[in-house]
Amino acid sequence: MRSQASSEWRRVARDPALLGAIVVLWALLALFVIFPLVHLLDRAFVDEGRFTLTPLLDSLADASHRAAFFNSLILATAVGGLGTALGFLFALTAVRGGLGRHWLTFLDAAALLPLVSPPFTTSISIIFTFGPKGFITHDLLGFANVSPYGFWTTTLAETLTYFPIAYLTLRPILAAIDPTMEEMAFSLGASRWRIFHTVTVPLAVPGFANAFLLLFAASLADFATPLILAGNAFPVLPTQAFLQITGLFDFKGGAVLSLILLVPAAAVFLLQRYWVGRRTYVTVTGKVGQRSRTRTLAPWTGVALVAGCSFVAAVIVYFYALLLYASLVVAFGANNNFTWHHYQVIFTEGLPAIRDTLIIAAIGMPLGGLYGVLVGYLIARKRFPGRRAMELVAMINYALPGTIVGISYLIAFNDPPLALTGGAMIIVACYVFRYSPTGIRATVALLQQIDRSIEEASSSLGAGSGETFRRVTLPLIAPAFFAGLGVVFIRSMTAISATIFLVSISWTLITVRILENMTELSLGPAAAFSVFVIVVVFVVVAGLSAVLARLRAPAAGAAARSFLGG
Amino acid sequence: MAPISIRLDRVSKRFDHTVKGEVYAVRDVSLAVSEGELLTLLGPSGCGKSTTLRMIAGFEEPDAGTISIDGKDVTHVLPNKRGIGFVFQNYALFPHLTVFENVAYGLRVQGRDEAAITKAVGEVLELVGLTNYGQQQPHQLSGGEQQRVALARAVVFQPKVLLFDEPLSNLDAKLRVEMREQIRSLQKRIGITTVYVTHDQEEAMAISDRIAVMERGAVVQDGTAHELYYRPATEFVARFIGRTNLVNARVVSADDVEVEGARIGLASGLAAGATVQLVVRPEMIELTPAGAGQAGAGVIAQRTFLGEKTDYQVTLGSATLQVSATDHYRKAPLEVGQPVAVRFHPEGIHVLKQLLI
Repeated sequence: MRSQASSEWRRVARDPALLGAIVVLWALLALFVIFPLVHLLDRAFVDEGRFTLTPLLDSLADASHRAAFFNSLILATAVGGLGTALGFLFALTAVRGGLGRHWLTFLDAAALLPLVSPPFTTSISIIFTFGPKGFITHDLLGFANVSPYGFWTTTLAETLTYFPIAYLTLRPILAAIDPTMEEMAFSLGASRWRIFHTVTVPLAVPGFANAFLLLFAASLADFATPLILAGNAFPVLPTQAFLQITGLFDFKGGAVLSLILLVPAAAVFLLQRYWVGRRTYVTVTGKVGQRSRTRTLAPWTGVALVAGCSFVAAVIVYFYALLLYASLVVAFGANNNFTWHHYQVIFTEGLPAIRDTLIIAAIGMPLGGLYGVLVGYLIARKRFPGRRAMELVAMINYALPGTIVGISYLIAFNDPPLALTGGAMIIVACYVFRYSPTGIRATVALLQQIDRSIEEASSSLGAGSGETFRRVTLPLIAPAFFAGLGVVFIRSMTAISATIFLVSISWTLITVRILENMTELSLGPAAAFSVFVIVVVFVVVAGLSAVLARLRAPAAGAAARSFLGG
Repeated sequence: MAPISIRLDRVSKRFDHTVKGEVYAVRDVSLAVSEGELLTLLGPSGCGKSTTLRMIAGFEEPDAGTISIDGKDVTHVLPNKRGIGFVFQNYALFPHLTVFENVAYGLRVQGRDEAAITKAVGEVLELVGLTNYGQQQPHQLSGGEQQRVALARAVVFQPKVLLFDEPLSNLDAKLRVEMREQIRSLQKRIGITTVYVTHDQEEAMAISDRIAVMERGAVVQDGTAHELYYRPATEFVARFIGRTNLVNARVVSADDVEVEGARIGLASGLAAGATVQLVVRPEMIELTPAGAGQAGAGVIAQRTFLGEKTDYQVTLGSATLQVSATDHYRKAPLEVGQPVAVRFHPEGIHVLKQLLI
């Protein structure tokens, strides 16, 4: 093995472009992934040069922190279960419901809307619906002074926000179940219900486990929803860590809390990657005939499925309509007269936040896209020592809850020689290293479909590795590049959990302004900001989809889907 | 004798196999290809021929041994610095570039000026008969046309060496014959040193100046098609090239051996009483009708009429012989079960080895 490694080294050493890329990428990964994490651990576990567990034990001794820990787990379990059920309902309807194309498009759009929205939209709508002046609680039911805060509303908001992940996970798995297997059971005399619970569901079990874990992790890491909806009665870890730092300026306490969050997050990540990830009964080929699909579903079952999905989709659409409405009236619930005032506010007072967000997104997008394809190309195509390690390290910031990443950046880059906090650069770096792994994975997936001999041909014709990448590989992996651009842009517009720790007086973000508006109870501008973000994201995603469609590469569709699902 | 262009000196390559552990893909291969010569690496799949070719190209690096081109050691030189044209089995055309741009690629990398590129690409497209195809996309072409684009792309920048990795295996049988003639005539016309990999022995014999037969990572014999056919070095080569009978014979005298009672006037150079294994090609056996019980007589077990020839299976004592008759149109066909006299033509028979029984 050693001879292989040393021959890899020799080969890399003779290829200046490859060597340069590897050195630069490792330097960046060391600086923006490893360095902050080491700092976080150092802050949490080292006191005056000595290792200590005291802060951790102190933190665990605090009843409210223990409550936050268990609340986080309870919330994540609830969201995982409900979200998986809802995702399965949508997936089953999409695959077996026998729906027309337009219906499917509508369900897809409604299901994917929450994934590309700023994090507070569902929360804002829930307050508009169930709050003291809520549309349902106040206007329809006539309750006074209802509190919309707590476990149930948080669960509802997170479930509606994250169930599309379960939908995207389960749909290909259900679609790949060979209908002949069910028809076989049918012909053997089994009833439809029996087939469903003895054939269909068991085949989808790995998908359920995967979807549950993904939702569990998403809920565990979610910061924005509980910050708005959980309230004081239901503290969870990410918000507690945030309050520890911004409220009490207790960096050490925040670091410790975020690391407590790391334990379940890492457990879920490892389970998902090494246990569930390898258990699928069906391979996804995308080539499944539509024939005799609906026969394994009794007619009334089909109707019930479609009705259920339509209800959920209607709730989502209602939430967004409510948001739009709230952005256009003087004061929702109190004064329902039409006004452009909130938009005037966001384009005057709010303009710096809009400008900053767009600048940061515009800088981060090409950097993130390029970084994604470069890392994806290196790990999929090149042999060099440390390749596996690079793949793993590049994924870390993506897999970690945003709160941990944000706090570690805050701690690591607050002091010289790397006092980057307060600038735009640190926010850009955070987005690039946190959201480019989707581009990396899209690149790897695309490259697996492109024969290696294409690059060897270029090499034999005299092109070095840099020139081959530029002239041949890059044009071929353009779909993954644009998908990577898309994800970085969407997240730059909508993310908050990590970057809320990194904003400053000179550089702020729309999402942070939305949060401030919410806490000041100026819900109109918050709604207007949200609508603005959704429109911008929609326009950019539509533009990128058009580019992807024009590239007409075979994997473009998959790549496009991956940046919504990522 | 032309000077040596490519030389491999005791080249080895190991791979890590998930089940078998470390395995040799290529072991101690030494080869020399003269300038302008076409050498074929022939062998069954997994024999290491493609790995050898890929090491010459620089896509793989040997674990031991040296490779030199025109006297220069290139063992550790990257592929893009070797000046080698490579034609891939799957053609490996750049799907995002036109035919013209595919062929022009190597010249663009060299930074040639536009006029020179247009001229050179035009000439080479004419050479492969694709003059008007420049603006087509690769996916619009047939397999044979794609193959010719790949060939044009590999020769346009006038490489020192041309390498082919099973270039014809994705084409149908008729096109394969046509293309191999085109490749051969083009190679001769531009006089370029070429190494060609195939598992098809007929293709190898048709196209090559010289053939190196590989088995399990090693070159077992290296010679002209004629030598391999008439003087195979091992049983493997004898079986791999053409059809063959491996027959045990007893040395009767200095000038005679005997197979199941049939005498062959063959000088084995061995003492009487030794046992040898002979390579007898099916067309070197002649059958004539015989009376039952005649010494050295066999019986027809099977007959297959193939048009240009008739194949027989003959039982001779304990041996079963494959026999091809090409003069069958002149004679009455031999019937299954019919006793036949078996006559061996000694000129084409080769003593493979002495058996120690």
